[in-house]
This record gives sequence, C-alpha cells and structure tokens, in this order.
Amino acid sequence: MGALRFTAILLAVGAFYAFCIAFADVDLWRLWKGLPRLAAWTARAWPPNFEDFSTLLQRAAETIAMASLGTTIGALIAVPLCLFAAANTTPDAVLHVAARGLLNILRGIDSFVFALLFVAAVGLGPFAGVLGIALHSAGSVAKLWSESIETVERGPVEAATMSGAGRLKIITHALLPDVLPALASSMLYIWEFNLRASTVLGIVGAGGIGQELKSSIDLLDFPRVFAILLIVLAMVTFVDQVSAMVRRHLA
Amino acid sequence: MTASLRVRDLCKSYDGVRVLDRFSVDVEPGEFVALLGPSGTGKTTLLRCLARLADPDAGEIYVGSHAMHLLSGRALRVARHEIGFVFQQFNLVRRRSALENVLTGRLADVSLWRVIAGRFPEADCRAAFAALERVGLLDYAFQRADQLSGGQQQRVAIARAIVQRSHLMLADEPVASLDPAAAESVLALLRDIAREHRMGVLCSLHQPVLAERFADRICEMRPSPG
Ligand SMILES: Nc1ncnc2c1ncn2[C@@H]1O[C@H](COP(=O)(O)OP(=O)(O)O)[C@@H](O)[C@H]1O
Ligand SMILES: [Mg+2]
Repeated sequence: MGALRFTAILLAVGAFYAFCIAFADVDLWRLWKGLPRLAAWTARAWPPNFEDFSTLLQRAAETIAMASLGTTIGALIAVPLCLFAAANTTPDAVLHVAARGLLNILRGIDSFVFALLFVAAVGLGPFAGVLGIALHSAGSVAKLWSESIETVERGPVEAATMSGAGRLKIITHALLPDVLPALASSMLYIWEFNLRASTVLGIVGAGGIGQELKSSIDLLDFPRVFAILLIVLAMVTFVDQVSAMVRRHLA
Repeated sequence: MTASLRVRDLCKSYDGVRVLDRFSVDVEPGEFVALLGPSGTGKTTLLRCLARLADPDAGEIYVGSHAMHLLSGRALRVARHEIGFVFQQFNLVRRRSALENVLTGRLADVSLWRVIAGRFPEADCRAAFAALERVGLLDYAFQRADQLSGGQQQRVAIARAIVQRSHLMLADEPVASLDPAAAESVLALLRDIAREHRMGVLCSLHQPVLAERFADRICEMRPSPG
C-alpha cells in the first residue's frame, strides 16, 4: 500500500515536470549554442563603464525613493485593511471577507503590472512606480500583518475587554505592543523585496535604474550594463544590511 | 444594598454536553466566595459566562444593577466596566510596563488619541501608582510585565482590576500557576481588597485548603451528570 502510493506520487510529480518542460519550451541545445554569444558579451562588458556616473546615481536614488515611498504608502493602506482582515480584530464578518478579498487581489497583481497601468494614467517616471508598488505592497503587507495579528494571544485582549473600552483602544493598548516588532519586521522585509522589484520597473517606463538598464541593453552597451548591475547589487546589499540590522534590534 | 453578583439557573452546554446545569450563586459586597471543584467541573466556563466572554444558553446574571444576560454591544461594554477579571495566566501585555498594564483598567474613560499617544490623564496615573503601591509593587512600576515573576504579574493584574473601581471581581484559578508562598499572598490580597473596596469576589480554586483558609464562603461545583 505504501509503495503503491509512493509510486503514484512519483508518477504525478514526474508528469507535472514533463508538462512544465514541454510548455516552458526548454531546449538545452539552444542554450548550448547561445553560450558563446553570452561569453562574448561578458568579455566585452569588461571593464564596466561608469561614465556619466551622476546620472546612474540619480537613477539609483530614484529607485530607492520609489521603493521606500511605495512601501510606506502601501503600509498606510494596510493599517485598516489588516485590522479588517484579521479574524480577531475584524468588527464585522462581511467586512472581514471583503477585506480578505481585496488584499488577495492587490497581492495577486504584481507591482510591475500596476506600474504599467499607472504609466498610462499618470505618465512616464518614478511616480507611476511609487503608485504601482504602493498598491501591490498594501496587499502583501496587510496579508503578513493580519497573519501576525491572528497569532497573538487572546489573553491580554480579553483582559482589556473587561475594562469596558472600545475595540480600537483595546487593539492599540493591549494588542499592538506585542505584535509591533513582528509588524515592523515584515514591513522591512517588503521594503527589501520592493527595492529588488523596483530595479526593473524602469523597463515599463516607471523610472529608476531599470530605465538605464533597458536603454543600455537596447544599445548592446555591455560595459554600461555591467556597471548598472554592479550598482544594483551594491544598492540591494546595502538595503538588505540596513534592514537586517534594524530587524535584529527589533527582536 | 444590592448584591455584587446574583446568578440564577445558569445553563451552558458545549457540543450537547451540559457543563452548567441550572447553576445559582450570590456574592454580597465585600464577600470573598470561593468556587471549589476539581478540574473540568466548569469553573472557567461559569466565570467566562458571567463576564460574557462566553454566552450562556439560559439563566440570569445580575452584576450590581446590570442584567448581564440581556446585554450586548455598548451596554455590555458599560456593564463589563463593573467587573474586574483576574486570569490564571495573568494576561498582561508582555511588552508594556507594570504601570501601563494597570492603566488598562482605565481604558474605557480615556480618549483614543491619548491611548495611541500613551499619555494617560494624570488622575489615572495617580490611581495606577496608588494601586501598585497597594499590591506592593510600586518599585516595579516601570518594569516590563514579562520581567516580573508570576506572583508579581498576578498582583499587577489585581491592581488593574482595582483602578477599574469595579463592584465585582472574578478570579479564575488566580494562584494555580504560582508557588505556595505567592499563592497565599495573592489570595490574602484578594480577600483584603474585597473588604476595603466593598467588592464582591468570586474566585475559583481547586485546593480545598486554600478555600477554607481565605474564603468567607465556599461554593462547591460538582461534575454535572452530563
Ligand atoms: N470552548 C469550549 N468548547 C468546548 N468544550 C469546552 C469549552 N470550554 C470548556 N469546555 C468543556 O467544558 C467542561 C468544563 O471546562 P472548564 O470550564 O474549563 O472547567 P474547569 O475550569 O473547572 O476546569 C470541560 O469538559 C471542557 O472540555
Ligand atoms: Mg479552569
């Protein structure tokens, strides 16, 4: 019986991957043939071209600003959303379902897709990126936050309930302090994630360093691409470090 | 003078099993009544129903002049203000100080923005300090709750009920997770506070010795036939 089940699971997993490989058009031969070209480009990329460094820096700053503002606005939207979405803080069953639906929609649509729409609405530039990130992050942050809130012990909240105070006062006084570190930590996590996501938002015209990346690739200017990748790497590493440091302090 | 607590024919079932079967009890102001019974006899269920943290199936509950069994929403909140509840696990907010935990008892009368800013009115702070002094923890006012011993945490929880100026105190095995010395001092404190504030106390215990020593009256709970 056990062996039979094991074989069945193995077959199912095997079939799934066969399906994926067929649909993803995986062709190792093409990779093999393309390798020399990749190698040639890589060789031509050396040394990285940091000419016009100030433009690159400005784009990098744009990227960080976009990710940070987007995350912050998303978090502000997530505040009411997560309180409605968490089973132990929601004031009403209908609002609970509605908030869950809304945050799943926001989370399900990538910043990239939102940014595309906002480029059409507010024009090219980082502002479209900010809005795109904000909407997607609102969903992600609210999801993580509501999950943290749902894991909190109900004891202190019940004790505060016996004071006869209203829901918001109870949440602020008796629930938030114990989850605040977890909430801050997940917001920092989303911030890191958004920085990585914003490095490519320029490709849809939403500003930041992705814009330079796209134009350099279009021009086959590989030393420039190399320089940009180095800056992206430095930027992402820096933000990851800062975020990790703050999170250590929160713990 | 009306009773602090009057319970008549309270019934509560879980999954078809009768936990409370027409249970009745009275607690007078200043009286310390021990609710005695082995575990599983429905002490927690009873106390939670009285505070309406759980909903009874039938029966009447009067706390002072409030008909608890009839209330909901805002009226229930107002009535809950009359009940201090002391939990077996203390239920303090871990990351808040002893003082802030005591101030929880004043939450109902403080505006939301003050709660958010953490700036409670001076009169409330004075009441909280006085309550901490009464339970012997003035020196620990600014200590974080999770850094206090179990006995100290339970004293903070009692101070929280004191500043609420309620007429009834419900305590659910408040000493079950304390060592014997801490248990005795917490029970002595509950008994003295009942006298000082003319507050009725209904306190569940599973040790007859403690009940006999500290309670004015013992109310035994027996396993219901099911
Ligand atoms: N929320 C609940 N759901 C289902 N059964 C419960 C619940 N709370 C208590 N019970 C049952 O009610 C009975 C009494 O429990 P409880 O009130 O905790 O007793 P005690 O506090 O005296 O130990 C137990 O059989 C318990 O399993
Ligand atoms: Mg119990």
